Amino acid sequence: MKKIIFHTVSLVLLSASAALAQDKIPLVTKLPDPLFVGTPVPITIPNLEPETKKWPDFQVPAGTVNLAISNKVTASDNDPVVGTLDLVTDGDKAGDEGSWVELGQGKQWVQIDLNKEANIYAVVVWHFHSQARVYRDVVVQVSDDPTFSKDVTTIYDNSAAGKDRPYVETYFGKLIDAKGVKGRYVRLYSNGNTTNKMNHYIEVEVWGKPAA
Amino acid sequence: MQTAETKAGWLTAETVFASAHFLRASAFVLIALLALAVRLPQLGVRPMHTDEAVNAFMVGHSLAGEAYHYDPKDRHGPALVESTLPLVWLEGAQKFSDLTESLLRLVPVLAGSATVLLFGAAVEMFGFIPCLVAALLFAFAPLPVYYSRYFIHETLFVAATLGLMVSGWRAVRRNSLGFAAIAGLCAALMLACKETAGLHFFALGLAAVIGWRLRTPGKMPPAKLWLAGASAFFVGGILLFTWGGQNWSALGDLFRALPHLAARAGGEGHEKPFTYYFILLAGGWSGAAIIILALLFRVTGSFARLTLAVYAVLIGAIYCAIPYKTPWLALNFWLPLALLAGFGIERLWFASGKPSARAAILLGAAVLGLLVAHDTRQRVFLHPAAENNPYAYAHTTEDLLSLPVRLEELARQNKIQNPRIAVIAKDAWPLPWYLRKFSNVGFWQPNQETGDADFFITTTDVPGKLAERLKYFRPDYFGARPNVLLILWSPAKTSSPP
Repeated sequence: MKKIIFHTVSLVLLSASAALAQDKIPLVTKLPDPLFVGTPVPITIPNLEPETKKWPDFQVPAGTVNLAISNKVTASDNDPVVGTLDLVTDGDKAGDEGSWVELGQGKQWVQIDLNKEANIYAVVVWHFHSQARVYRDVVVQVSDDPTFSKDVTTIYDNSAAGKDRPYVETYFGKLIDAKGVKGRYVRLYSNGNTTNKMNHYIEVEVWGKPAA
Repeated sequence: MQTAETKAGWLTAETVFASAHFLRASAFVLIALLALAVRLPQLGVRPMHTDEAVNAFMVGHSLAGEAYHYDPKDRHGPALVESTLPLVWLEGAQKFSDLTESLLRLVPVLAGSATVLLFGAAVEMFGFIPCLVAALLFAFAPLPVYYSRYFIHETLFVAATLGLMVSGWRAVRRNSLGFAAIAGLCAALMLACKETAGLHFFALGLAAVIGWRLRTPGKMPPAKLWLAGASAFFVGGILLFTWGGQNWSALGDLFRALPHLAARAGGEGHEKPFTYYFILLAGGWSGAAIIILALLFRVTGSFARLTLAVYAVLIGAIYCAIPYKTPWLALNFWLPLALLAGFGIERLWFASGKPSARAAILLGAAVLGLLVAHDTRQRVFLHPAAENNPYAYAHTTEDLLSLPVRLEELARQNKIQNPRIAVIAKDAWPLPWYLRKFSNVGFWQPNQETGDADFFITTTDVPGKLAERLKYFRPDYFGARPNVLLILWSPAKTSSPP
């Protein structure tokens, strides 16, 4: 009898998982060509973000699209040193001159307006991928408040206060699990990098579905 | 009446000559002072390149009382360290950690300014206008200014090369044993800077033979001059290499260096195409204009001019043919290039007698001056360590300057008085320079077992055994050079084992 109950419960759970899985599809994005000359050697330390060697297998609900494409971008530095803010959401991830915007020294942010509230499943960011670099204090937040003074959800934080780990930039970008958080604005912080004190963005994708 | 008048006045031939001589000398002194003024600002701002850090470390060794031991496998001759010590003693530095970037870089600054002054001594040899132009270019152009603020051997080497040319020429011209001895000492200084001096001796010697045959056929200089020069070269060379007679093995090591030098010439990771130096020198807003001026030179000049032109071609061909290339080696071409550009301007000047044409030449020279100023500002002062600066070769990134600051901060936060720092890397340079203020630092190769430490600094290829130890440390990345990252591991209290 116990055996029958166990098998029945297992079957029900498997069926439920399969039903849920049917709604999920792998997140696929068009990757830029790799630009590294002299790829860094593999990092094998348990508490260090492993080197990204392939696009991660990440599931999102069917119908998920890049909501950031061509949308308005604002920033803490309204007068970028190089490039313009629209480069952040123009779909060009090439990584060469002319495809990135450079914000001033120290802590800076860019913010993307999705135009209306959305369920966000993933944020993918390419800071700079023509050499081995690490951007410091990368924080990604979502909110309905354009000033980010209330109802802020932090989905990624590798600053000293956060639990995420610093990572080496590659042409795969950094895929951040947003866990379906609701919000209209996405803000990304950084605080210089291991080559200079500037902040760069090639592209930011916000994968989600408009909230019902 | 006329005699009395001229004696009392200031128009005698001697006084006119003396005045002209004084004015010429004053012009070169003024340019040398301006060269010094251009080279001195922000001397300590640019991060220390690995080669600078290695040279600084050797100065530190000497300060600790250790005699210099010439290494046939690496690191060139002792001249840079020997030239630096008097300045360091004057400044009162007693140990490695007392040294600063500004103090060390003062040596190439002085050598670069002295080179400008030496062009004044070469007027008799090459003419006033070429020497004036060469002095101005050497004083202000980006490449000589950049490497006159770089603690490596090149600027001292180039100063000694010009010293050899000028004193050698004067020795022959005046039949002077004194100048022959100075020429020998300059040659010894060149060799004690870099072993590549041999290539320059060959190029200069062959150029002088060609120049002599074509322009001054006749007897060769007397044997006593050769003897004086050779004696000074050997005595000077022996004193420099043996650290004043303290390390005689250096003489044998100098010969043992030959196979290593041959291997290095093959490239050792620094291979560049044949055209590398041409592209480097022609770069920026002013490079192409200077090269065009140099190409205006016609092979019709005196022995000295012809010799210089042949030397420029020979040394250029040799360096271009050698696969191993670095941007600072281009300074060796700058010496003849600047003089050849001077010959070009002189030719233009005398080819056009009309005032309007000469005004146009002066205007062109002024425009060239502006272009040179732009390049120097960009490459030397605004972006000295930037990746797109062709002179900043495999340069230490500015980010590394924050590593010792961060270490101090973390030591304070963790209440560690005298932090134990373990550096594990195949190539740790320039970290010995940046960690010189910490008294408890050890350096290990990746396969070596390290002791306990409060902080670890590693490259990104840490072996598994150490990786297990670092499990409870927090990683912070720092850029060392383009595409080379270091990780500072600091105690992470929140994730430490129970």
